[in-house]
This record gives sequence, C-alpha cells and structure tokens, in this order.
Amino acid sequence: MKKFIAILSAVCGLFILGFFGQNNHVQAAEKTYTIDTDVTFPPFVYANTQNKYVGIDIELLKAIAKEEGFKVNIRPVGFNAAVQSVTAGQADGMIAGMSITEERKQKFDFSDPYYSAGIVMAVKEGSGIKSLSELKGKRVAVKTGTAGADYANSIKDKYGFEVVTFDDSDSVYNDVINGNSAACFEDSAVMSYAIKNGLGLKVVTKPTNTTEVGFAVKKGENQELLKMFNEGLAKLKANGQYEKIIKKYTSGTATSETKAKDTSSSSSSEDRTVMGILKENKSAFISGILETLKLTVVGIFCATIFGVLIGLLGVLPNKFCRGLSTTIIYIFRGLPLIVLALFIYNGVPTLIGTKVPAFLAGVITLMLNEGAYTAAFVKGGIESVDKGQMEAARSLGMPFGKSMRRVILPQGIKLMIPSFINQFIITLKDTSILSVIGLLELTQTGKIIIARNLEGFRVWAIVAVIYLVIITGLTLLSKWIERRINN
Amino acid sequence: MTDLKVNVTNLKKNYGSNHVLKGIDFKVANNEVVVLIGPSGSGKSTLLRCLNKLEEPTSGSIVIDGNDISDPKTNIDKARENIGMVFQHFNLFNNLSVGENIMLAPVELGKMTKEEAQAKAKELLATVGLSDKFDAMPNSLSGGQKQRVAIARALAMNPDVMLFDEPTSALDPEMVGDVLEVMKDLAKEGMTMVVVTHEMGFAKEVADRVVFMADGHVVEVGKPQDIFENPQHERTKSFLEKVINI
Repeated sequence: MKKFIAILSAVCGLFILGFFGQNNHVQAAEKTYTIDTDVTFPPFVYANTQNKYVGIDIELLKAIAKEEGFKVNIRPVGFNAAVQSVTAGQADGMIAGMSITEERKQKFDFSDPYYSAGIVMAVKEGSGIKSLSELKGKRVAVKTGTAGADYANSIKDKYGFEVVTFDDSDSVYNDVINGNSAACFEDSAVMSYAIKNGLGLKVVTKPTNTTEVGFAVKKGENQELLKMFNEGLAKLKANGQYEKIIKKYTSGTATSETKAKDTSSSSSSEDRTVMGILKENKSAFISGILETLKLTVVGIFCATIFGVLIGLLGVLPNKFCRGLSTTIIYIFRGLPLIVLALFIYNGVPTLIGTKVPAFLAGVITLMLNEGAYTAAFVKGGIESVDKGQMEAARSLGMPFGKSMRRVILPQGIKLMIPSFINQFIITLKDTSILSVIGLLELTQTGKIIIARNLEGFRVWAIVAVIYLVIITGLTLLSKWIERRINN
Repeated sequence: MTDLKVNVTNLKKNYGSNHVLKGIDFKVANNEVVVLIGPSGSGKSTLLRCLNKLEEPTSGSIVIDGNDISDPKTNIDKARENIGMVFQHFNLFNNLSVGENIMLAPVELGKMTKEEAQAKAKELLATVGLSDKFDAMPNSLSGGQKQRVAIARALAMNPDVMLFDEPTSALDPEMVGDVLEVMKDLAKEGMTMVVVTHEMGFAKEVADRVVFMADGHVVEVGKPQDIFENPQHERTKSFLEKVINI
C-alpha cells in the first residue's frame, strides 16, 4: 500500500512536472527515475554548446540506464539542491562527481565507485605560491560541499589560511584569478579539465586525499536502482565502454581525438565574443528567458491575488481576520526568499511525503513572499483612504462590504498602483533567486553557460542586459495599464 | 412616546480610562431642532456620533424612531437609512461625481432605480442651489458647495432625522451663510434635526431647544432665549461670555 502511494505520488509529481513544461516525457514501458545533478561541474557534468548535458557522469548514467532498461529524468538543480532533493525524496538519486565520505554515508547509500579523484591545489598562472605552507594568512576559495572544501577546512588551522566558500566552480576560479584568493582546492579531474579549456590557473600540488566518487540514493531507499547501477557499471567495465567514457573526458589526447565528433568536450573552439556567446547559447538563453517570464507572470498573478485577499482580510472589522492577516504578512515578509524557496522545495516534501515540483515550489514561494509585500501595501493603501469616507458611506446605511467596494477600494487602488508596479519588478528580479531550487531560469542558465565557457564577465553582462530589457518592457506595460485605470 | 424621535437614557462612553460621556439623558421630539453647544471636549460630537452608532456606546440605551439601536440585535444599516448625517469635513466620495455621490446609497440599497435616483439628485441639487454641479467632481467644489452636496446626499435617503456634526466649522466665513440657509430651510420644512455647532446665531434663530454640555454631562437644557439670555449655571454663563464676546 505504501509503495502504491509512493508510485502514485511519483506519477502525480511527474504529471505536474510535465504540465509545467519540464522536458520529461514519461513512457509507460520503462520506469523513469529522477536523478539530480550539478551541471556546473565539468568534466563530470556540464552543458555543452547545444545546451545538452554531457560529462562522465551523464554518459555513464545513460549507458547504464540503457544497459539495465530504465529511464532517467536528469534535473540540473545544483549540488546542494540535489543533496537536499534526494534526502527529501524529491529525487530518486544524484550523480554529480560526488565523493563517498563517512559523513555522507549517514544520509546516503552509495554505488560502487565509478571514479577515483584526488584533490589538488591550483593558483593563478604566474603566482609564486608552490606549497601549502605559503598560504599562511591568505584566502583560499572552495566550492561548497565538495571534497576540496572538506580538505581545505581540515588543514586551514595547520597552515593558517582562511577559507571562502562559493556555490559554483566559476566563482571559485574567478576569485583566484581576481587575486582575492591565493589558491583553490578542487578535484584533479575538474581542475585539469578547466585548465585545458583555457582557465588561467595552474596546478601546483600532487593529488592528495584520494576519494572515490559514486552515485547516491537516499539511505534505505531506491535499493533496486542502486543495484541496477552497480550491475550496469560492472558490465560497462567488462565491455570496455567505461574506459572509453573516462578517457574521453580526462585524457588530453583522447579529447582531441573525439573533438571532431563531439564538440562538447572542449570549448576552446567557441567564439568568445559577446555576439559569439549569444549565438552559441541562443536556445539556452531563450528557454531561460521563457522560464523567467513564465515564473514572473504566474508568480505575479498568484502573488497579486493572494496579496489582495490577505490585505483585505487585514482591514475587516473582525479582530481575528486582522490578526491573521498581520501574522501572515509578518511571517512571509520576514523570511528571506531563498530560505522560503528551499523550505518549500526541500523541507515540505519531508513533512507531507510527496514531491513538490520545482516550478510549483517556485510559484508558491513567490506567491507567499511577494504576496506578503502586496498585502502590506494593499492594507496600507486602504487604510490611507480618509476614515471619513467609510463613515460617510456607513452613515447612509451602506453595509461594510458595499462601502468598501464602491467607495474605499476605488480610491485605495489608485494609491496602490505605483506599489503594484514596483512589486511586479521586484518579483521579476526575485525569480533569479529561484535558481537555488534548480529552476532553469535566466540566472541558472547563465551559471550553466559559465560553468562550460568560464566567461563570467561577458555572460553575466548579457544576463544583466536581458533582465534590464525585460524590466523595461514590464515597466512600460505597467505604466500603460496605470494610464488606462486612471482615465 | 410616539412623538419622541430620539430617546437617549444614561448613555456612557469610555475610551479606556477616559470617560467622554458620563450618563447622558437626551430627548428629541418629532420635527424638533435641537442644537448642542459646549466647549471642545465636552462630548457633544461623541453624543451625536453615538446616535447612528459611528461610536459604539459603552452603556446606556439609544432609541431612535422606536428602534433600540444600542441593542446588538438591531440591524444598524437599516436604522442608519433613516438617520442622515452631515460631517464637519463633508466626506464626499472623492471617486464619484456630485450626482453619483447623491445617487450611490439609494441605488445600492435598492431604494430607487437609477432613473428615480437621478431625478431625486437633480431635485435636491436644485434645492441646495447647485443645479449646475451634477457632473462635477468633489475636488472642483468649494467647501460650502461640498457641504451643500453632502446635505443633499444625506437627504436622498429620505431620512427622518438629520444629524449635523459641526457642519460649518471647516468653512471659510463667506461660505457659512449658504450652508446655514439650507439648514434653516430644512428646519422650516419640519425635519427633525440634531446640530452640533458653534454658530450661536443659528442656534438662537432656528433651535427649538438648546442643550449645553460640559465634561461629558448635559449641564443645561432650555429654549434658546432662556439659555442665551438667562443661563442658570455658572459653567454655561462662563462659556457663553467667551463665545458671544468674540
């Protein structure tokens, strides 16, 4: 019975996912597993110029799935979100160059290792730093949750350096290139891939703290998936396919051999001008913009309805209603959007035992947070209408509701229009925060593109301009509506 | 009893520990014009606002037209339909034109069709001397014009009692006369009126009775000439000396 409910909810979840236009097409014949990953982690996982996900992990997973006869729905949610999704039951498993550690074994069951990775220290090209002992008093950049980060933290007191943590590899590298950090610790495979693709860093230490990398499922769950992964991996190792995949992404000669048929493994051939980046990532940018717009429109719609209702609740004569309204505004205006998003996406499913699709979680987040702000100014707008207006209406015998509708609201709404326009623009900007739950909107799209081409400045400039263009459009539209209402 | 329009007994109103009305007994007969006078803070506006329950009384009973409006079971909206009120600051609906201000309540409450209400509004605007302002917006009117529209708006519901809360206090001096004229005409037609005002001239000329209030009590009640020419209480005397000498 429990399993039936689990499957039913999984199907419902997939259905809703499909409904909101995520690119998963469920086929009845084979079971589909949702696997989360971090697509800013070459050579394990990244997006190529066609915006397809490639890398050691993806190719292995797909080969194993084919071998064992199951389907995967790969979601590019980022490492932290993936960890939380799997532990919350939002995803069946994760594959993201994940080191097998004792700490992680508390929460996850790991497959047989499919790769052995060591941590290296990299510094800026031309930097004089050659060893750990030279890091004293300096800053070291790491990516959150990685083995490199654990290693750095374990030796920072011994060598007297400070650790700064970033969410994605590009920020880590840039911090070193900009000179803010003296060095970074990263997996040797990741590091050599990046340097091979033109990153201005050099590796100065031998791989150390070798850890094994594995595929993970939530502890005690999805054991058959884990079993299939292990069996498939063994088969790939036996038939030589495993060797081919690893070579393709880690050995320099193999890369140049495969370059002709797979442009994905190297980005050195990419056009690095702004126009070139735009052209090469056109489809990625367009789908990012569409997702941002979709989130914004649905978010604004839900937040406005929610906000107006809660705001109106706050001006009713009933004390309980007013208290409820104040409390809702207090809670959801007080919570940072990012905390609310992670709570709804990763926290709530643990509580209710059902998956919450990312888009739905994003919309609910916007509805509650932006809605709370909307409620506050709706309430304020109504309260700022002169009290005498309500008294005059009531003194004529008009009930509260009628007085509100015919006299107070028409005046209050006029006062609220500038706040509404402001809130719409804020909502649009806030959709970027939803990249933390893996929504492939514009900001996340930018992150993924940078993970491949490491062109932080140009890509972020493009993303910034796109946001400004959309915001200009939204502002013009709002002003037009404002004029219509005022006439 | 049937002649009593308003019958207030032992009305008390507290704002926390501040006792604004300390047991008021107050009666208004049919067709009577009663003017409430007294220093600021004496409670006269609060008393007036209790009569249509814009202020919730703390205790005591208020019976208007045989309706006990202090009883929570009484439908206050129904009761208010028969009690017109005119405010110091006019409170015209800023989002509606003059005509719409007058027509809103009768139409919304199903008392008249739109056509009837329109005819009534035009007729009322004519009686207050503002026939040409039907389509004007309130913010284009002078204070005196606004107050006359407000009176027309209250009259559109055909009330039995009219309450005036310092209707000329917020007006420029040259506007006061027009508004008082309208009120005098209304009194002549036999409207039952309760007026809070500082216009002693109006009280002398129009009032059937004058009620002097101070510190939450009714101090003295009488015909205008008795109150103004022969006040009995020290408190009344000192108040009148101050206002009349100005």
